Amino acid sequence: MPPFQSNKNILSLTEDLLVRIYEILVSESDRKSFRLACREFLRIDSLTRKHLRILRIEFLPVLLHKYPRLQSLDLSACPRIEDGVVSLLLSQVGPASNSLRFGNWTRGLKSLVLSRATGLRFSGLEMLARACPCLESVDVSYCCGFGDREAAALSFAVGLRELNMDKCLGLTDVGLAKIAVGCLKLEKLSLKWCMEITDLGVDLLCKKCVDLKFLDVSYLKVTNESLHSIASLLKLEALGLMACPLIDDVGLQFIERGCPLLKAIDVSRCQGLSSSGLMFVVRGHGNLLELNAGYCLSELSTALLHQIKNLKHLEVIRIDGARIPESSFQVISANCKSLVEIGVSKCVGVTNMGLMRLVSGCINLRVLNLTCCHSITDAAISAIANSCRNLVCLKLESCNMITEKGLCQLGSFCLLLEEIDLTDCCGVNDKGLEYLSRCSELSCLKLGLCSNISDKGLSYISSNCKKIHELDLYRCTGIGDDGLDSLSSGCKELKKLNLSYCNEVSDRGLGYIGRLEELCDLEMRALNKITGVGLESVAAGCKRLADLDLKHCEKVDDLGFWALAYYSRNLRQINLSYCAISDMALCLVMGNLTRLQEAKLVHLCNVTVEGFELALRACCIRIKKVKLLATLRFMLSAEILETLHARGCIIRWD
Amino acid sequence: MDLKDKVPRHASFTQHQQKWEDPSILDYSRRIESPFLAFNQTHTSQIKVPVQHGVVNELVQASKVQDWDPSAMLDNLSFLEQKIHQLQDLVHLIIGRKGQVLGRPDELVVQQQQLVTADLTSIIVQLISTAGSLLPSGKHTLSAATPSLEQSGQFGGVVFPSAQGLNDGFQPQNAGGCKVSGLPNSVDISRKNGNEQNHIIEEHELKDEEDVEEGESLIPGTYEILQLEKEEILAPHTHFCTICGKGFKRDANLRMHMRGHGDEYKTPGALAKPNKESGSEPTIIKRYSCPYTGCKRNKDHKKFQPLKTILCVKNHYKRTHCDKSYICSRCNTKKFSVIADLKTHEKHCGKDKWLCSCGTTFSRKDKLFGHIALFQGHTPAIPLEEAKAPAGPSDQGDSNHAANKVGSMNFNFSSNVSSESEVQSSMDIKGNVDDPAGYFSPLSFDTCNFGGFHEFPRPPFDDSESNLAFLLSGSCNYPHTSGED
Repeated sequence: MPPFQSNKNILSLTEDLLVRIYEILVSESDRKSFRLACREFLRIDSLTRKHLRILRIEFLPVLLHKYPRLQSLDLSACPRIEDGVVSLLLSQVGPASNSLRFGNWTRGLKSLVLSRATGLRFSGLEMLARACPCLESVDVSYCCGFGDREAAALSFAVGLRELNMDKCLGLTDVGLAKIAVGCLKLEKLSLKWCMEITDLGVDLLCKKCVDLKFLDVSYLKVTNESLHSIASLLKLEALGLMACPLIDDVGLQFIERGCPLLKAIDVSRCQGLSSSGLMFVVRGHGNLLELNAGYCLSELSTALLHQIKNLKHLEVIRIDGARIPESSFQVISANCKSLVEIGVSKCVGVTNMGLMRLVSGCINLRVLNLTCCHSITDAAISAIANSCRNLVCLKLESCNMITEKGLCQLGSFCLLLEEIDLTDCCGVNDKGLEYLSRCSELSCLKLGLCSNISDKGLSYISSNCKKIHELDLYRCTGIGDDGLDSLSSGCKELKKLNLSYCNEVSDRGLGYIGRLEELCDLEMRALNKITGVGLESVAAGCKRLADLDLKHCEKVDDLGFWALAYYSRNLRQINLSYCAISDMALCLVMGNLTRLQEAKLVHLCNVTVEGFELALRACCIRIKKVKLLATLRFMLSAEILETLHARGCIIRWD
Repeated sequence: MDLKDKVPRHASFTQHQQKWEDPSILDYSRRIESPFLAFNQTHTSQIKVPVQHGVVNELVQASKVQDWDPSAMLDNLSFLEQKIHQLQDLVHLIIGRKGQVLGRPDELVVQQQQLVTADLTSIIVQLISTAGSLLPSGKHTLSAATPSLEQSGQFGGVVFPSAQGLNDGFQPQNAGGCKVSGLPNSVDISRKNGNEQNHIIEEHELKDEEDVEEGESLIPGTYEILQLEKEEILAPHTHFCTICGKGFKRDANLRMHMRGHGDEYKTPGALAKPNKESGSEPTIIKRYSCPYTGCKRNKDHKKFQPLKTILCVKNHYKRTHCDKSYICSRCNTKKFSVIADLKTHEKHCGKDKWLCSCGTTFSRKDKLFGHIALFQGHTPAIPLEEAKAPAGPSDQGDSNHAANKVGSMNFNFSSNVSSESEVQSSMDIKGNVDDPAGYFSPLSFDTCNFGGFHEFPRPPFDDSESNLAFLLSGSCNYPHTSGED
């Protein structure tokens, strides 16, 4: 144990106690405060830190040296991660001072998140896979350019248990076979949108990786043959089959007889399925915990219901989009007592009476999705609030008949409510928000299109719901600067805010927004009163801002953009479409914001072709996705387009 | 099973001429001689002579031909006349029935056509034969006898059929497993044994000899087991010219060669096959044993599985007990001990785009994945750098394409390639290539309307050049552009 002075303060605690304290701190900002307290705490932080998510690659070498016990590294938020960088990070040789530092960090690494690391290619991946002997989890989702070579590189990580390859568009059966043969310990694999994969690949996977517990083949063009192979997986617990258009009831018959440990199945949006297919699954798996059949049934048939009745342990059921006979609710309520989540959005036949019967039995409900169940009224909300005291999430979008009476019941009984979606509920008014504000745990509140609320209503929320993280005020035209004033003083933890089309908001309001230090996602489309001054105060205040949408903010001038370029160094996505930004400011923004990964730059009337060219040159080494007007395609130099392409940048031509 | 049942076709060689693998004109003449003999009862004694007495047979035949009898000639000519009249009547009959034929199945029409063709053929053969008897042929006895004697010498110590046996060694004595498209047996073909046997060759050689017999289950003891020694199996030539010593794989080719040594070798008698097998005679079934001790194909093995023909023995021995010395020039990985296998491979080498990490290639993805599922640690190989791809594939694609064309062109001869390359030496081929026309000129067969006849003398060891040369010179209508790279 290192000796240190025993002062009569917290520093007198031994190292292991400090470590324990540190481990209690969950949120990143708390940990930041901890390590900024003193050198000793910083040392504790360095010693204990297991996870690292970095925003800038240039700090990585130092950080890797600083945190010797790193187990998990997240590079997904970091642009410019590419083969050369990886090789540099892994290289043993180099400056003498660095030679010892490097090479070690990979030894304990178990998890690697490389999502959207589009600059990376197979050689870099292979180096990483070979250098990390303990690697268990890799996420390369949304690396659209990845294919078989990258998969082959990943297959060198022989200890891999979890792999996410969602939207690796180049992946074919060959690459999948590489992984299946190389990573025999694989337990969790997600292959969403890997459109080239066929039954052959899935079949081989199921033959080789017999330990698979989780498999997601959503959106693939696999057929019943694949289900036949999957059915042989004895350890499979969760199966994702979302939107597989080629599977049908016959395929689910295989699942009925196989996968003895299956707990969760997602067949939502599978157009080829019917009730009878689901009946096979339900009949074969009495211990099913989760059944997601959204938008795949036209009607919840009585035969299927009769089978579902037997699922005593069922916790989650989603049957969005189906027609539900009123009697079904009674059956579910009487039999599926363990239900925690019910999704009946856009279902026809969801009535007050039905919901009342449902909640009379399912008192443990925590999540209820009633989106677009137009016919429900306050009576249903009242029954829900009375029965389901543990409700955490309630989605009521487009439930027009709900008024402040319903919200009053919720505010009285559902005190654990964390998320409520009241988008497009025109019955919600200031009084309703006052009732709702009694739910002090509320962290996500969606009030889009609620034109009957005003600053007064928002002030109730602001003063009582201190934990709000996300607030959606899209087209809440009654909200003005004063509402933002109260919001910024009350909801200090706000991370995500949507102010689009709140026409009353002016530069003064944005000044208040600037006080929200945690804000990282701000959407403020078409605020036609704001100017560069307002943007400057936001940029200067919201240091964490990562995602900014300024579309149609036509009065914002270069002053604001300069400020943006100067202050918002953490900006990752920006939408400047229809803005009056000039050549100079655009170049500055694109060049200065070193974390920027995605930019939407259409209809910039003050920007010339040269301006675009320069701006793209300024950001080409890190930008991952850019949206431009199609006419520019033939006006920009071929060189810059090639460079962007070579860097893995996707250009969307509008 | 009886040959006659197996091969119900009558004179169907018009269909099959393109497929005949045997470039030997003598074979041909022998084959078509049979029908003639069938009509000409004076010669029946000859066909009854068993195979084993080939030499005697030859002598008999030679002596018969030698003393020319004008009255016999007249008989022959009048027979021919009679025959032509018969044929005329037949054709008339067919024409007369045309109206009624409409409703009938096509088979009957084909039959009739074949009937006519067969008769025509027999007439032609008889003509030739008659003409041939006029030629001066003092040394017939010697010339005809020599090859057969020599052959029997070659296989001294082994119970083995002489000349005929070797030449027809790969004719299965029972046509087990041979598929013969079923044309109704409407005509008397019982004595057209030569014809039948040749059909069997065609059909039989389309398959892999070793595979064909897998299903066979002969009761031990009901057949004769022959075992060739290793040297004999691997010997490139089994027939040697007594005059110059040049070696040949086929007696037929030797006989062709002999023509160059003097006119006496050009008589039909000398050119004819030394002996004929009588199909009506039940023959002892022969099976072969591999000389390699411990091999399942060796007669001392507990579960001995005999090989059916000499060709089977050769292929089996080379494949199983010899080095694989033929390497594919395209992929440089695949090795073969039988050149025919190499050729088969080369036909689709490069087209097998599904490659396993172990080097095995597959033409189908599912086969590769089945392979990978079966073997631990095998993975599909990812094709080389994309950078190479644009230049490489296009290039290769072209050549492949050309090769494919040639391949498909050769498709009819697929049996040909394997059999000939087995049996013929490169020297033989040269002879073939050099003078394809001369090959047939003595009997002027090229004047006959036998479509595709020119395609017989295919060079078996076709490096692309000779192959294409052949194609261009032959009657084949393959576009010349294919020869270009």
